[in-house]
Amino acid sequence: MTVIALVSSIIISIGSLAWGYSETGFDTFARWILVVGMVWLFTQWQGWDWFSSLVLFFVVLISAFGLWFGFNPGWMFSGAIFALFAWDMTDFRRRVRSMAVDDDSRGMERRHIARVSVLSLAGLFLATITMLVRVQFTFEWGALLVLVAVLGLSQLVSWFRRQSK
Amino acid sequence: MHRSIFLSTLVYALLLAGLITLRGELIALAIPFMLYLFFGFWNAPEALDLHITRSLSVDRTTPNSDVIINLTVTNRGADIEELFLDEKLSPRLTIRIGSPRHLLRLTRGSSFTFAYTVAGPRGTYAFNSIDVTAAESLGLIYREQSIVTSQKLFIFPEVKRLKYVSIRPRRTRVYAGTIPARTGGSGTEFFGVRDYQVGDSPRMINWRVSAHHPENLYSNEYQQERVADVGIVLDARVRANLFHADQSIFEHSVAATAALSDAFLSQGNRVGLLVYSAYLGWTIPGYGKIQRERIMQALTRAEVGVSSVFAGLEHLSPRMFPPESQIVLVSSLVHDDLNVLVQLRGRGYQVMVVSPDPVKFERGLLPPSSQVDLAARVVRMERDLLIRRLERAGIQVIEWDVSIPLDQAIGPILMRQRRLL
Repeated sequence: MTVIALVSSIIISIGSLAWGYSETGFDTFARWILVVGMVWLFTQWQGWDWFSSLVLFFVVLISAFGLWFGFNPGWMFSGAIFALFAWDMTDFRRRVRSMAVDDDSRGMERRHIARVSVLSLAGLFLATITMLVRVQFTFEWGALLVLVAVLGLSQLVSWFRRQSK
Repeated sequence: MHRSIFLSTLVYALLLAGLITLRGELIALAIPFMLYLFFGFWNAPEALDLHITRSLSVDRTTPNSDVIINLTVTNRGADIEELFLDEKLSPRLTIRIGSPRHLLRLTRGSSFTFAYTVAGPRGTYAFNSIDVTAAESLGLIYREQSIVTSQKLFIFPEVKRLKYVSIRPRRTRVYAGTIPARTGGSGTEFFGVRDYQVGDSPRMINWRVSAHHPENLYSNEYQQERVADVGIVLDARVRANLFHADQSIFEHSVAATAALSDAFLSQGNRVGLLVYSAYLGWTIPGYGKIQRERIMQALTRAEVGVSSVFAGLEHLSPRMFPPESQIVLVSSLVHDDLNVLVQLRGRGYQVMVVSPDPVKFERGLLPPSSQVDLAARVVRMERDLLIRRLERAGIQVIEWDVSIPLDQAIGPILMRQRRLL
């Protein structure tokens, strides 16, 4: 479950950034972002956890540049938030590796992913407010927001249901 | 870098950049990170109040036997979202079943019990503490603690039971035992004939001798059997134990020492142990089960060592052993040991050498070739010469081919000596 969340968040983060840059004509730079994404996935496969911190710094930097140059803030926020999500998952995966076979790894994974999803959702919500203030709520951004909101809400509901049991 | 510090740095950098450039987007970009940090700090674990109990299925065992270790952790403090338990084990121990590391959620008042199975070679293993790390669910804030739970596991060398070890020191102790004391008295073995004394049982009268001397009666006298002082010396010098590719014959020497000390103590003797290594590890002589325990503990600690001071056996001081007592040296022998052993014999000690055969041992480790065969023959001749010289000096040498179990290889020889001497 953690691995799926990690890979998905890396793809969404890098995809959002690359899309945001290519949208404004920076195709070459977008390709380089995709290359970084590939390397990131490769390093996770190899278990080089330290690389996530490096990429998070890189993603925040290019997101900040994107916002500075006035690119679509939705993609930039999405890139940064999902990079944060992936960075968190990398460390969580490292911690889960030390669990014994008979430990409740599934339960811990479920709880952790639910919490981080809620945090990401809250982050996106704040970003959305910022975007609404700036009136740049594009269709693609809206679609992504709805998708993430549905996923996050479903996680939240299932988490509450398990808690109530 | 610590994760929370890294994230805080990012947040501060974004806030600073936003303030310098007066761009609200950069500050907005910092908000999700701030939220994440805030959540982490909000749920930071409180001071740990954990109670840990450990129990071992056995605390004294033999090499490579399974030992089950049970641990129960009880949380007397606040809820802990992520509790990482890590028991640091000696690298020499092998985990057979389970794991000494666990990551779990532990609510207030709840307990968690786990067990794992270890096995290992001879040695003393201390379980001094368990490292616990508590964190909130994001893993940003940690609290680490080492909880002391002192316990020890002794893995004693395997003791092969030797039925009887025949020794005959010149001097014995006053207590009754099984060692012939070279003095007449009550016993089982015939010692001599003496004049009849009032109180002698009619069964003791030697009628055949008395018939030759009609004026006197003569009684049979039997050899007294008493306990003796036995000093066992375990040779742990590197030069006498390490051979090709760091393979050591030392474990066999330890096994022989354990078996011999067990046999001597079972016979009621007073036994002391000297481990001759980089230092002199001396276990003062004693009797019975307590002494057996002391010797076994000394053997679990015994390691091969190198020292220029103790390179030879010159420091095998006669003052350590009672005069004219029995000394048993367990060693694969090196050439310059001859003089020391002969000197000990000259001082009146009864010296026995139990020698694991290093030639056969090392030859088994080397690839077969004509050069190896030739070298083995040369070394064998040198060793035979050394053993012959020792035997000529009155030292009893028992060679042990370590590929054969100790009780089968030298047990019958040790018993037979009683009749020969």
